[in-house]
Amino acid sequence: MLNLLFYIFATMTLVPAFLMVTSRSPVSGAMYMIASFVGMACLFVLLEAFFLAILQVLVYAGAIMVLFLFIIMLLDMDEAEDLRTKSLPSMAAMIAFGLLLVTVLSFFKGSYDGPLSPIQATTTTTVVTEAIDLKAKPPALPFSTKARTFGYGLFTKYMLPFQVTGILLLIAMVGVIVLSKRHEAQGGKQEG
Amino acid sequence: MPTILLTPLISAVIIALLLRRQGNLAAGVSVAAAGIICVLSLKLIFGKEGLNTSYKWLELGALQINLGFLWDANTATMLFVVAFVGFWIHVFSLGYMHNDEGKARYFGGLSIFMFSMLGIVFADNLFMIFIFWELVGFSSYMLIAHYHKTDEASRACRKAFIVNRVGDLGFVLGILLTFWSLGTANISELQAIATQHPDKITNTIGLLLMCGFIGKSAQFPLHVWLPDAMAGPTPVSALIHAATMVAAGIYFLIRIQFLITTDVLTLIVWLGAAMALYAGICALTQRDIKKILAYSTLSQLGYMSAAFGLGYTGIALFHLTTHAFFKALMFLGSGSVIYGCHHEQDIFKMGGLYKRMPVTAFTFGIGVLAISGVPFLSGFFSKDAILIAANLKSTPIFLVLMAAAVLTAFYMGRLYWITFLGKSNSEHAEHAKETPVVMWLPLVVLATLSIIGGYQNFPYIKELFHAFHGSLEKLHHEEGHDAAHNLLLVLGTVAWVVGLGGSYIFYKAGSSMDNLERQQPKLFGILRKALFFDPLYNFYVAKIQNKVADIIDVIDKLIIQGVLVRGSAGILYVTGLFTRMLHGGNLQYYSFWVAIGVLILGAFALGWIG
Amino acid sequence: MTIGINEFLTVSGLLFSIGMFGVLFRRNTIIMLMSLELMLNAVNLALVGFSRHNQDLDGSLFVFFIITVAAAEVAVGLAILVGLYRKRESVMADHLNLLND
Repeated sequence: MLNLLFYIFATMTLVPAFLMVTSRSPVSGAMYMIASFVGMACLFVLLEAFFLAILQVLVYAGAIMVLFLFIIMLLDMDEAEDLRTKSLPSMAAMIAFGLLLVTVLSFFKGSYDGPLSPIQATTTTTVVTEAIDLKAKPPALPFSTKARTFGYGLFTKYMLPFQVTGILLLIAMVGVIVLSKRHEAQGGKQEG
Repeated sequence: MPTILLTPLISAVIIALLLRRQGNLAAGVSVAAAGIICVLSLKLIFGKEGLNTSYKWLELGALQINLGFLWDANTATMLFVVAFVGFWIHVFSLGYMHNDEGKARYFGGLSIFMFSMLGIVFADNLFMIFIFWELVGFSSYMLIAHYHKTDEASRACRKAFIVNRVGDLGFVLGILLTFWSLGTANISELQAIATQHPDKITNTIGLLLMCGFIGKSAQFPLHVWLPDAMAGPTPVSALIHAATMVAAGIYFLIRIQFLITTDVLTLIVWLGAAMALYAGICALTQRDIKKILAYSTLSQLGYMSAAFGLGYTGIALFHLTTHAFFKALMFLGSGSVIYGCHHEQDIFKMGGLYKRMPVTAFTFGIGVLAISGVPFLSGFFSKDAILIAANLKSTPIFLVLMAAAVLTAFYMGRLYWITFLGKSNSEHAEHAKETPVVMWLPLVVLATLSIIGGYQNFPYIKELFHAFHGSLEKLHHEEGHDAAHNLLLVLGTVAWVVGLGGSYIFYKAGSSMDNLERQQPKLFGILRKALFFDPLYNFYVAKIQNKVADIIDVIDKLIIQGVLVRGSAGILYVTGLFTRMLHGGNLQYYSFWVAIGVLILGAFALGWIG
Repeated sequence: MTIGINEFLTVSGLLFSIGMFGVLFRRNTIIMLMSLELMLNAVNLALVGFSRHNQDLDGSLFVFFIITVAAAEVAVGLAILVGLYRKRESVMADHLNLLND
């Protein structure tokens, strides 16, 4: 059963991904991409990373791909691209693809055979009663299916990276506003 | 003292960085800096609050180079000469360089020179002296080259630089040998060693260190650069090539007198005496007012080194000081004349200037009398002291120096009579006007100093005499001093009367032709030949040095240019070809490089390569 | 054949290769950007797989950060694209050759 699901989900991820890369119009590419992301979310579920699966759908399929579609439509640049499969760069890309496949696949071949072990019962998911001591050695974080463990990890061991990520998002936001603001002189020139 | 040293440096930096196009501002900054130096120095000299400090500058193994200050009576006197005379020459430059294009460059150069010269005056170790020694060389090069568009100036500055290099090679070897054999370069420590272990001081050290003096003070056989250096602006000639830099050689010898052995001293006496006479002969045939003064400077430097070599260092410094006064005065006077006559430098085209430029003529006259040794002027005291010393120590030296004294009076008289008296010999001289006050005021100040500079009981002047007292006392107590003194009173008077009078009778006031050349062309030719050093050096350069240079050139072309330069350039070219491939200018090109990177990384991780 | 971590890693590798191929193959910068996202996703999958295999949550937390950074990256990347499109009327990579000598 698990095997069958895996193959279905893997197909759901890989085939749309390949179609995306080879689709001539960006809009259909984006659609394939959403399908691929959903397939990826399903694979996460198979790995029992439920929280990440939801995050994947919400952030990638939901936010990021909508952003892509928005931009494509906003700029009205759904021009079909001539793929020129016979051209030199395309040939080189295919050769590189083949080499990459060989390298990456042989990289993983036979390293981690065997079924996934069952998730061990953990204790860290119990309610935290004491105040968290940030200066103490960070606790080990065993794998868990619960979102609460994620929160615990983020606010203890990964406190600093978590906050830095917040600042990064802020910077990105400001950056985007600055970048997409029309400069008066420049815009005037283009339109005039 | 550090303030005094840093002021001109700051001024030079400001001019070099900010004021290159604002000539007037630059001049103001430079003169203000000179004024500050002058005031601070006078406070230091008359307040007697000198200090001996030392700052570590760099350390290379056992070799530690300090920037330090050594203060003694010699320093005070030399500082007075540099700061005071230097200041008035700055003031004079304001007028002389009034309309010059390169005013900022000129005043920047003056500031650098003041910095370097003060460095030599203060320095407490040989390495520091050498550094500033080269810096004065550089600033002298820069200032000689002020009119760099003329062929003469550009040739002269190179000549000055290269000839000085020859001397400095010996100098730097001498410093290294001193450091190597005595273990220190600090002058006070060296003195202690020299008094404790006199056997450690060898002739070689003295000879090598003397090379530096010979180059900088333009003594035999490296004197050829000084007359040519007159191609620079006249105030520069006054400051650098008469009053201070060339005298730095003597000052340096006085500082390291304990490192000079008796044999070397004898050599220095003979070199000095020969120079005094030879330069006098050369001066006789010159027509250019500045060249005459340049040869006269050489001759007076000869006197100084003779005095030093005879063992009377204080008298050498005494003559250095008085010479700085009257020679700076005469150079500035000649600058005033040249300025008044629209850059005419040939004395036979001047004449009759006393009517048109009374202040210049009067002050210049004082200078002439002082250098000729007329009693009661400063030159009389210092020159007589040297002659007495020579008379007591060695008759041949005395005779040579006496002859030089007569010659000095003769050619200075020739210069003065022809330039200032009689009638004008050219348009320019006819329309000459007295120079503005900024130019004649320094002349008056220096003339005053030339008169009073020899009186050791005069207020303020007596402070300068601390450096001379020792030697003067020693001379007074020599056996036979009184007899020699009386003899010199007679002979000295004979010398200047014969010299000045003879030249007046022979040349006539304001003549337009060289009487010697007209009456005795053969003799004139022979005297002209006395300048044989330049052809000699030219011959050496053309026949020997150029041949060596050709051989080195071939080696250079083959090995350095061929293999090293071209080879490395070739490697770079190939590398460039390859790296240019990386830079395709296209987004996808770059992503291909990323892909290749991923592949290599993967292959490496898999153990396929590496 | 049971499904283990190895199979997930294989899928991840394939996805990464496809993403790389997309970046190399396509000239449309929007698709290139999507391919980059695909590559990031492949890494995510591998990380979650390892995290599950080693019974350690750190890998999963890392994926969380990657998703956040990817969101920021896409936002900035698309803003740059919009700016480029305004200036050059094209998003094709071979038209963006100002750096070419």
